[in-house]
Amino acid sequence: MIQEKKAYSITIHELAQLGREHIPAELISSTHLIYNSPAALAFNSPGAQGFGVKRAGLAIPGSVMLLVGPGCCGRNTTILSEMGGYSDRFFFYIMDETDIVTGRHLRKIPQAVAEIVEELPEKPSVVMICMTCVDALLGTDMERVCRKAESKVGLPVVPCYMYALTREGRKPPMVDVRRAVYSLLTKQIRQKRTVNLLGYFAPLQDDCEIYAILRQIGITNIQEIARCQTFEDYLNMAKANFNIILNPESRLAAQRMEKKLGIPSIELTRLYQVSQIHKQYQAFGQVLQVSIDDSLWYENAKTEVARMQNQYSGTTIAIGEMQNGNAFEMALALTRYGFCVREIYANVTEGDFVYLRHLQELSPDTQVYSNLSPSMLYYDGRKHAVDVTIGKDAAYYHTDSAHIFWDDEIQPFGYAGVLALLHRLDEALKGR
Amino acid sequence: MKGLWKYISPFAPDQSGAAAVLYGLGGIVVICDAGGCAGNICGFDEPRWFSGKKSAVFSAGLRDMDAILGRDDRLIDKLCDAAQTIDASFAAIIGTPVPSVIGTDYRALRRMAEKKLDMPILTIDTTGMEWYDKGIEKTYMALLQQFAHHHDKAERDTVGVLGAVPLDLMHADGTETICQELVEDGWQQILLYDDLDDFVHAGKADMNIVVSPAGLKAAQYLQKTLGTPYEMRYFGLSHVVPDNSIFAGKNILIVHQDVAARAMRSMAEEAGAAYVTTATWFMTAKTEQDTGHISLREEDDFRKLADNNDFDMILGDAYFKRALPHFHGLYVDFPHFAVSGRG
Repeated sequence: MIQEKKAYSITIHELAQLGREHIPAELISSTHLIYNSPAALAFNSPGAQGFGVKRAGLAIPGSVMLLVGPGCCGRNTTILSEMGGYSDRFFFYIMDETDIVTGRHLRKIPQAVAEIVEELPEKPSVVMICMTCVDALLGTDMERVCRKAESKVGLPVVPCYMYALTREGRKPPMVDVRRAVYSLLTKQIRQKRTVNLLGYFAPLQDDCEIYAILRQIGITNIQEIARCQTFEDYLNMAKANFNIILNPESRLAAQRMEKKLGIPSIELTRLYQVSQIHKQYQAFGQVLQVSIDDSLWYENAKTEVARMQNQYSGTTIAIGEMQNGNAFEMALALTRYGFCVREIYANVTEGDFVYLRHLQELSPDTQVYSNLSPSMLYYDGRKHAVDVTIGKDAAYYHTDSAHIFWDDEIQPFGYAGVLALLHRLDEALKGR
Repeated sequence: MKGLWKYISPFAPDQSGAAAVLYGLGGIVVICDAGGCAGNICGFDEPRWFSGKKSAVFSAGLRDMDAILGRDDRLIDKLCDAAQTIDASFAAIIGTPVPSVIGTDYRALRRMAEKKLDMPILTIDTTGMEWYDKGIEKTYMALLQQFAHHHDKAERDTVGVLGAVPLDLMHADGTETICQELVEDGWQQILLYDDLDDFVHAGKADMNIVVSPAGLKAAQYLQKTLGTPYEMRYFGLSHVVPDNSIFAGKNILIVHQDVAARAMRSMAEEAGAAYVTTATWFMTAKTEQDTGHISLREEDDFRKLADNNDFDMILGDAYFKRALPHFHGLYVDFPHFAVSGRG
């Protein structure tokens, strides 16, 4: 029986009532075919926008990558290379059926690495070997192959795994690649006033208050992989007194660093609710047993929120998930700031219920859609007009609205992130 | 070293070719992958994906245990769920490296789907290890064998064009140039095989024009089964070389898909080129011995052939140029969407 041709959606109220144990199958990507509309492209091809395994694997300064897989796995690298600075850092070993049947490619990788190193004008700091679903299924021991390659070229050779098959597993590709890029750090004497920010492959916005707050509590050296200019800078990350995890996908890397290097970690969440940011900084100070004075930034952010609330209260908005934030937390923040969040396009996880519980009280009729549901083929944004959208996916659905993509590589965080978001919203709405 | 590519990214794979033929035909298209293959097809190899016209192209969303345990039934269940909400005239399952490695039985998959769904099911056994042209060829054949009526009579004003998918052309909108030239030639009905009806009524074509070797097998099939003659022809070359006089007296290399390369060779020879060599990584259109043509397999083959000053002029996609640091002659951009993805 053909069902009604309309996109599946559910209200925040209904979703919250169902609870985290009963998330509808339509909102869980593993239970249905995955619609790959331009709105959701970054889900299936993370390299298309931002950092996928390929770009992330090259986060170590001076590194190059050999991708080992069928031709199709290296295809998008044409465009990726042209995104700047990558053209000379990607190499491919294109597997054929004989490789798969005989495992011949494994014997050839050390030779391929040697040929690449020989051809490069400057010796790379490390050669990353990117493996694909094919070697996942073959059960290849790539660590062993990399050790062989290392002994041949006298350079670190590190595997990273582009296994889309494990996306919902214990170690999804973007989690494991973070482990891989920090795996070359070796134990050093820790420096009391040094800290690492883990989580992103691009730096935080320069004006983020976290830098000033960390200096306020005596931290003089704040390290991020994206700000490392040289391989030595990267190696110095092993000297950190502690790691601050800014993205949960870095938890595994942090755990490994704690075990191997003795560096403990603490996690901060990217939030857009000003009051929660304040609470988080205070809790952070308590854990470190220091006093954190964030009043300057806190008051400034509250003032800006009040100004926006005064000017744009009731403005309708649609929020997607292809942006630098959690769609539900951002929806909660903007609802609290007076915006009317009509629709959210996002996969729902158990962790989102922290925000859904509050949204249920403030905005129970907000509709939740899944970008990945096949029924989104029938979604027509013209029937659900909003004033402004956040996220590239939301912009795709609502071509006539004002847009902010909010997917810059430079990462927003803290009060500075809220101010930047509000500033961009202000600009977009003024420009309508 | 065989298999190692240092300058050129891999070209569009066979599954992209298959998806390109099926795009817009009104079927449910399932890429049998974990996600990345579908992402590449839609994000890089299918310019029409961003045109605003929606197409039901999905990823199967395979996970490790689906592959290890061979849970084909789950894929069929997902397909049935989607078929309940999507109005489709057929469904197609396109292979990728994952089903290829685990040895998926496509015939069994097809039978399982046919038992549950009241619509024709196609399976295309692409592997991700061949280039796009192989996928186009397989899909044309699957569609014609499934849908072509054998009782249609040829209509004198109708022409078919096989191989005219964006991947095989210079630009994403290359079919507009083709249609324009064919209308100028006097044809009134043009079957681009980008609509399911074109496959159903393929017999209406008075002749077929093959614009890439990927369409050749389909043209030969239609000649054999329906008696439709065919010829090979490429369109829009004057946009690449507006002034033919640049060919005069030159030793030239042309690198493209074979029909395009041969068409350009004819043009160069007519304009007085001293010697013209064609080369391709893809299928060749002729099987007999051809002294002026080179089949490439590896990046090293190309570099040995052209990374020197043996040729005065090279025509090929601009993306190839980065593999030729020692070539100092004239390089003319002859775009090929399946190579660089430029549209």
